[in-house]
Amino acid sequence: MALFPKVGRNQPRMRAAWWVLVIFLCGGVALHLFPFFYMIALSVTPAHEALSPTPVIWPKEPTLAAWRLVFELTTRTSMDTAVRDLMSFPFYVYLSNSLFMALMTLLISLPVTSLAAYANSKLQRGPMARWSFLFFIGTLMVPGVVTLIPSFLMTRNFPFPLPSAPLIPGTDDPFPILRIWDTPWAVIIPGVFNAFNFLLFKGFFDTIPDSIIQAARVDGGSEFNIFRRIVFPMSIPVYAVASWLQFGSVWDSYLWPLVVFQTPDRIPTSVAISNLMNRFIQAGSTSAQQAAAQTASMREILEAGLSWNGLMVLGLLQTIPIFIMFIICREYLMRGIRLRGLK
Amino acid sequence: MTQIELRNIVKQYDSQDQVTLTGYKGEPALNRINLTINDGETLSVVGPSGCGKSTLLKVIAGLEYPNSGQVIYSGHDFTEIKPQDRGVGMVFQDYALYPTRKGRGNLSYFFEVHQRTEEEEQARIKATADLMGVDFDLLLGQIPDTLSGGQKQRVAIARCIVRDPNIFLMDEPIVNLDAKLRERTRIEIKKLLRQFGITTIYVTHDQQEAIFMGDRIVVMRKGNIEQVGTFDDLYYSPANLFVAQFIGTPPIAVIPAVIENGQIAIETTRWMLPPDIALPNGAVRVGVRPEGWRLDTDDGISMAVRHIERIPTERAAFVIGAVAGAHTSIVAPVDYPMREVTRVTPDWEQALFFEAEGETVLHTPGVPDLF
Repeated sequence: MALFPKVGRNQPRMRAAWWVLVIFLCGGVALHLFPFFYMIALSVTPAHEALSPTPVIWPKEPTLAAWRLVFELTTRTSMDTAVRDLMSFPFYVYLSNSLFMALMTLLISLPVTSLAAYANSKLQRGPMARWSFLFFIGTLMVPGVVTLIPSFLMTRNFPFPLPSAPLIPGTDDPFPILRIWDTPWAVIIPGVFNAFNFLLFKGFFDTIPDSIIQAARVDGGSEFNIFRRIVFPMSIPVYAVASWLQFGSVWDSYLWPLVVFQTPDRIPTSVAISNLMNRFIQAGSTSAQQAAAQTASMREILEAGLSWNGLMVLGLLQTIPIFIMFIICREYLMRGIRLRGLK
Repeated sequence: MTQIELRNIVKQYDSQDQVTLTGYKGEPALNRINLTINDGETLSVVGPSGCGKSTLLKVIAGLEYPNSGQVIYSGHDFTEIKPQDRGVGMVFQDYALYPTRKGRGNLSYFFEVHQRTEEEEQARIKATADLMGVDFDLLLGQIPDTLSGGQKQRVAIARCIVRDPNIFLMDEPIVNLDAKLRERTRIEIKKLLRQFGITTIYVTHDQQEAIFMGDRIVVMRKGNIEQVGTFDDLYYSPANLFVAQFIGTPPIAVIPAVIENGQIAIETTRWMLPPDIALPNGAVRVGVRPEGWRLDTDDGISMAVRHIERIPTERAAFVIGAVAGAHTSIVAPVDYPMREVTRVTPDWEQALFFEAEGETVLHTPGVPDLF
């Protein structure tokens, strides 16, 4: 409890302040937990009740119907055709898409980012180190939305951010391009260098005394060996934090996958869930006939017991991997703290 | 065995705080250094902080490459050789133990990266542990963070000697220990050095330590070597005012004086100079060591005594005060009575003479013949 000194904690005024602080912090915790609680509450609410304009804190008759329906929906085993057709593919397809992209990004991005940070922190010297540092973190200063269209064009004609590949000078042939658009690599490759993680790693590597690395050099370790055998074991907690952040950001990314994916069986869960939600909320159409058909199917779905409650179930499913990732990383984080000693 | 020679070494500092986006600020850390360290010799390097003594060590180890000049190991040019291949052993001021490895792991890293056999590694670690003392085995099983300063320092020295280095480089290895432990470790290191007879460069800012460890002493200032020599050389015939003031505790008293036809005057007090000190007329500065004074003399200059620092173990006291406005310490008998003013005369045979402005030495007594 660094916030509160141990000495004099039993004095009445201190005690009062202590409890005020505890209540304040509890309020903060409740504020953060409430949306999560609301998701759970809504996921066990019957479909009609979930649609009512008065908010439901806890349903009168909790039911697991939505969970069962979502299970049928995601495995496409429902008898009800309207429910079955809500999603074009079983949920595990989207889940595995997301997992593949997130883990692949981690696998490539962590070594690249951490080695870049290590090189910048310990191997580069002089003004060059400052310039490359500014260059790397400069990418943090450009909002992602600004680069959305160039990035999109780049996935179409990798590595040219142009509407079409330029011609090789003197010929009519275009330069060879790699079309990563509509493949998982369109999500993985832009995530390979993560400026925020770079900053995180660099901040940590800066705290490692130069003398440790110099001692290892005198001992005869090559630069890579020093990184692998001396620096990496010291940095496990930072790797844990960085991988959790990176995993979360790829898993939760929505706008970019929405832009680059066309084929329905390649989209990640975030996009799949949002597509589903769109079908609930914008049941609009240009022709009256279509609209009528949509309304009919909506009613059918609602009668089957699926409304917001089902979306909440999907939302919870979407959060679970991040939660698991956090538990894994937390273990390493704690181990790292024990190893290095808290000072 | 190894002899090291530095030729015209220039090193421009490039640590983070010295670097701006356009270049460097500040003076070079090493400015045309020429130095020879003989085989088997222990060389102490002293100087005020920031004088480049650690940089000198790093250049010798290869951790920093000089901007120009050559580093010669036993006649071979090692200037461009990586530190990995130089075969030096280095002890750092902050010990620089690998925090995730136990004591044994710290010692074994050298063998791991050199693909030595397990047997050799075990044998060398055991031999080193025997050398380092009875309880050293206990330290090998512990993570560095759980060790005390002195223990860390022992592991660091063991890590340095376990690989049988060509040269030892020690960068203020015992500065972080408390006084008593420092005293003991100093003796231990000295013992180890004598046992190995390996060329050693010992950097320190503590001149007592430098005198104790080094066969020869290098005094550095602002990237320049001011003087190289034994303690007696530095003490009795310093190369300039800086060395004279840096070496010796309490420091030398430097007092303005005027020489006129074989007579010397400090303020209004005059003395005859001994005939062997032949100096031209004019203003000078006189440097007098604490033991170079005679107390309570009839023809002496008055000294305002500030206090008397008694050192019973040495059976001596230091009378500290001011002579002609200059800070002065004088060795006296331990029972020397306290008084406001006393009369003192420099022992002119032992006095040093410097220019009135600048640092040039005009006359030194030279190393006395003790035997």
